[in-house]
Order: sequence, then structure tokens, then C-alpha cells
Amino acid sequence: MALLRGEEEAKVREWFAALERPVELLVAVGPEQTPPAGARDVDFGAEMVKVCEGLAELGDGVTWRVEDEPDGFPRFPAVSIRPDGRDAGVRYDGLPWGYELGSLVGAILEAGRAEPSLRSESLAELEMLDRDLVLDVFVTPT
Amino acid sequence: MLLAYRCAFASERVAATAIEANEFPQLAQELGVWAVPRIVIDGEPRWDGAVPEPEFLRRILAAA
Repeated sequence: MALLRGEEEAKVREWFAALERPVELLVAVGPEQTPPAGARDVDFGAEMVKVCEGLAELGDGVTWRVEDEPDGFPRFPAVSIRPDGRDAGVRYDGLPWGYELGSLVGAILEAGRAEPSLRSESLAELEMLDRDLVLDVFVTPT
Repeated sequence: MLLAYRCAFASERVAATAIEANEFPQLAQELGVWAVPRIVIDGEPRWDGAVPEPEFLRRILAAA
């Protein structure tokens, strides 16, 4: 089944064609699947692979690879979005169903930019950070 | 979500993860996730809901 509807897919292809640097998706599928409660027989790791494979098919600048349990991944499945293959500390933990697929596409687009899309004022404020910050954002698919 | 990602790509000091709440219900429960997006900074719940970029930056810097 296609990830996106025709019009959406064409738009994402257009966006991915404009990426200014390559983006790698590192998929961590985790240990052998124990389906979460209520998950029936869904293999979330395999679904994550399908999502990332499907997105990579939409642009030459997007590649993907799979590891079982790479360092730095506390939850599975998950995907690390890596500009030029570099770990920038950006992940999506869980399967980006439905609306949340847009978050993953948005992360790829940002990773593929040569310059950040934040306002210059925001960039100046981030420069003021004198320690590391870990932002976790809880989301749901709808 | 995208603002958090943009901050992480822009700054080596920031890491950002989206966590699908339904798939990690125990963690979501521990952090009292009843509304999304819920923003958690360094393991501490901070606020719910989307905010404009200047306010987002103000809040994460205040947490630093």
C-alpha cells in the first residue's frame, strides 16, 4: 500500500528533490518483537522499515538502513534522522502513523537544509545555551 | 514537533525526540500525558500544546 495519496506523494517528491544535503534514516527495530498490548499482530519494527523505505523511494537524497539495537535508542521501533549521516540528536520513537508521518517528513526536510529554517533571533537565542537540553515531545497519530 | 526538531538541527546542545504516546503508554502515564503535544524537557513535563516559535524558544531557554 502506498504511504501517501497521489497528490501528497508528488508534493513530497518535489520537496525531496530540493534537499540541499543527503539525509539518512537509521531505523532501530529493537529486539525480537513483543507486540504491545492491543497491538494484535502488528509488527511495529517491520512497519517502521516500510515507512522509511517508502519515504526513501521518493527522493535520491534520502537513504535508510536498519540496525537492531544501535546505541542511543531507548525505545523501539525508532528512527534517527541524520543530515549527511551525522547523529544530530533527532529521533522519532514509535511508528509515525497518519498525521504524524508529516512530522517525519518535516524532519527530513529540515535535515536536508543547508541552513536552519529558524528565525535569526531564535538562532541567536540558541547560541546562548550553555548546557545540553533534551526535548521529548509526546504526540499521537490524530 | 517541528519546532523542537528545528532547534535540534540548529544547535548541537539540543536533542529532540517525538514519542508516540500510544505505543509507549507506561512512559506516557509516568509523565502524565493527557493532551498532546506534551513537551518534556530533561525528563520534566513542561507544557501542553503548540506555541509560536518565539514563545517556544523563550520557554526552552527558561528551562535551561
